Amino acid sequence: MTDEPRRLVVVGAGGVGTWLAQALVRMLEYKLPGSMLVIVDGDNFEQKNKERQSFKGAGNKADVLAHELQGDFPNTMIVPLAKWVVADEPESDEEEVDEDGVRSAGVVTASKLLQEDDVIYAVVDNFKARKDICDAARSYDNIDIFLGGNDEELYGSVYQYRRRDGVDITEHPSVRSEEYVNPPDRNPGELSCAERAEIDGGTQLIAANFGVVAFLLGRTQATILTDGNFLANDVKFDLGHGLAQAYDRTVEEAEVLATSSV
Amino acid sequence: MDMASSASAGKPASGGMASIKFGVFSNPGSHAGKSISQVRAEQGKLWGVPTDAAAHVGKTAVSEDYVIQEGDNVEFHRRAGEKG
Repeated sequence: MTDEPRRLVVVGAGGVGTWLAQALVRMLEYKLPGSMLVIVDGDNFEQKNKERQSFKGAGNKADVLAHELQGDFPNTMIVPLAKWVVADEPESDEEEVDEDGVRSAGVVTASKLLQEDDVIYAVVDNFKARKDICDAARSYDNIDIFLGGNDEELYGSVYQYRRRDGVDITEHPSVRSEEYVNPPDRNPGELSCAERAEIDGGTQLIAANFGVVAFLLGRTQATILTDGNFLANDVKFDLGHGLAQAYDRTVEEAEVLATSSV
Repeated sequence: MDMASSASAGKPASGGMASIKFGVFSNPGSHAGKSISQVRAEQGKLWGVPTDAAAHVGKTAVSEDYVIQEGDNVEFHRRAGEKG
């Protein structure tokens, strides 16, 4: 593994993303100094978020979190991007204003956000945005996309979609997961302000958020910072049962060769 | 996703080892010769397997009448965590 600076991108600064960013910046600061951490979110912090999310001030989540972290970690460049990540450019570029007169954050397409050699953490609370990011990643030769989420109880999962030299090393999540073929939800970046306001955040548990963060950090340590076990690239956990199980979604070698010869 | 398989061709001698998994749960045992619907009925309530959770052997989605072969790794799909 290299100790060269990397660019890590956390998409979604919520119950998983706020804690994840705080841990990743420590990894970068002390293991890969000179790296960049990009934090992306179009949403604003509200007082009610404090039950599960880490922030001190009001404002856009990406802006607030990046500002809070930058002062403590001078050897890592922390870049906020106050936007929603979407699949396609919007048909209209008119700025939207909500009923309180606040301008909408705007959008960035996944293909514009991603770069070669990126490590992306898609920890938004909907499958559609994660799918959009994974689909865009197919255009890159070398990239790692970590997906992480939990349900409203104590179950959660993380998945590592990796591409190297233009081929899938692990399966695109749509290969066996219907939720990444036909997402049951909608990308907030594709909704109006009024529609976004109606989204029910559900009743999540901070324990499950931390479980997702712990496994994402573990997979990062094992596969990005070191050359550890890559085969545990799909992990399901249930904190209520005290169980975790890893699955290997590595694409079979013959399939990689067949794909790369096209 | 591929949904290629129907009932398996040669029915194996029953009792061979195969593995059944769902999310964090795993049950390696003498499952060869059973159908998917049979193991879904056996494990479903215990593990909370949704009735519409797709079953895969390897990467291939298999139907309810697929007969499990010795050495199969049968996995009922556990939806990923959605919230964050």
